[in-house]
Amino acid sequence: MDFWSLIGIWVAAFLTLSIYSVLYRDNPFYRFAEHLFVGVSVGYGIVLSIYQGFIPLAWKPFAAAITGESMSGFIKLIPICIGLLFFARLSPRHTWLIRYPIAILIGFGSGIAIPKVLRANIFEQTHGTIAPFAEIAAGTLSGWDIFEAVLIVVGVICTLTYFFFAVEHRGPVKWLSKVGIAFLMIGFGSAFGNTVMGRVALLIQRVDFLLNDWIGAILTIF
Amino acid sequence: MKRQVPLVLCFVFGIVMILTQFSPHSFSQGVYKEVISWALIIGPFALVLATVTLIQTHTARIRRRTEHWQYSLVVFAGLIIMVLIGIPFGPQNTIFEWLYNNVQLPMDATTFSLLAFFIVSAAYRAFRARTFEASLLLITALIVMMGNVPVGDLIWNTVLFWTPWEDGTSWWRQWILDNPNLSARRGIILGVSLGVISQSIRIILGIERSYLGGGD
Repeated sequence: MDFWSLIGIWVAAFLTLSIYSVLYRDNPFYRFAEHLFVGVSVGYGIVLSIYQGFIPLAWKPFAAAITGESMSGFIKLIPICIGLLFFARLSPRHTWLIRYPIAILIGFGSGIAIPKVLRANIFEQTHGTIAPFAEIAAGTLSGWDIFEAVLIVVGVICTLTYFFFAVEHRGPVKWLSKVGIAFLMIGFGSAFGNTVMGRVALLIQRVDFLLNDWIGAILTIF
Repeated sequence: MKRQVPLVLCFVFGIVMILTQFSPHSFSQGVYKEVISWALIIGPFALVLATVTLIQTHTARIRRRTEHWQYSLVVFAGLIIMVLIGIPFGPQNTIFEWLYNNVQLPMDATTFSLLAFFIVSAAYRAFRARTFEASLLLITALIVMMGNVPVGDLIWNTVLFWTPWEDGTSWWRQWILDNPNLSARRGIILGVSLGVISQSIRIILGIERSYLGGGD
């Protein structure tokens, strides 16, 4: 193991233990690691956004336009100027100019969302819910498969009923809504279980690092 | 000028993005790609502005000598080191990668793994099986968690060996995820998507204007 890898393991181990120290109580080591994490993450985000966003999409086409390779690069001046308007926020007199880039980004996001959400989340999800019934008609599904297909349709309808506030939840609507809550609880329980297991996997990975990489490196010295 | 122009810009960009997605013509697809690249160029400026705001906040903390102001210097140190190495030499630079692998990545994983402790203690308070719904949530979470680890199936095969399912815990986990969980998620996705579409239409048409903020 080379010198810098060894230093890296010690630094990572120190920061890992510093963050875990908050489980006892708030302390200077945790605060140091927490603030360092903020600074390093922001710095990393800036570097990535420049190298993966600004340079290939704006700077290179613009530089090509300046050198005369491709005149279409001059059009990139428009989004650059719009982006610079974000800094109007720093001047109280011109702060209203920030509405321009925000309006463009929000309009862009809304416009792109409507067809994509319609296609991926409404049509595809509805199709996925109903599609097994075509196979029932073809006679290719077992009794258990049919039960699952019906269960999914009932679950979707009941869940949607729970979120349907245009009618008062009384009578049959109330019961459908109650079944919807049961499905939602199963959904939230699954999400919770998966989240916990994901976090525990990260914890195992960090403990594995401390035990094998860090303490293992110490043991190799002796 | 201060409110009408942004509304017009929002409308134009929104309509252009909708129309270009419905037209396979090369001009339309060219416009679509160009506008997407515009959004990707404008976005990083917002990140830089957020960084400027972060710097202003921590500078104020240092100037006023508020409690724990010394840690603001640590924020600056991390930020400046990453930027000074990353911007001139690029993200593939050896030192930048070393900092990412040995400083940022371990802290990122450790911070998220901390949630394992907090989420379990929060669950203990929230999941006490007082009602039918809470019990359902608790049982589902337990099955999904136990189905994720080999000991779950070991317990099932030892205690419930007489049932028709071998490795029943992971089987039931998968069944829950593929059926009742899927239908609940579909219901939520359909509801959220209808909300997103209606809100997007309101924004494009200028009915929803809260993003413009207050003032003139």
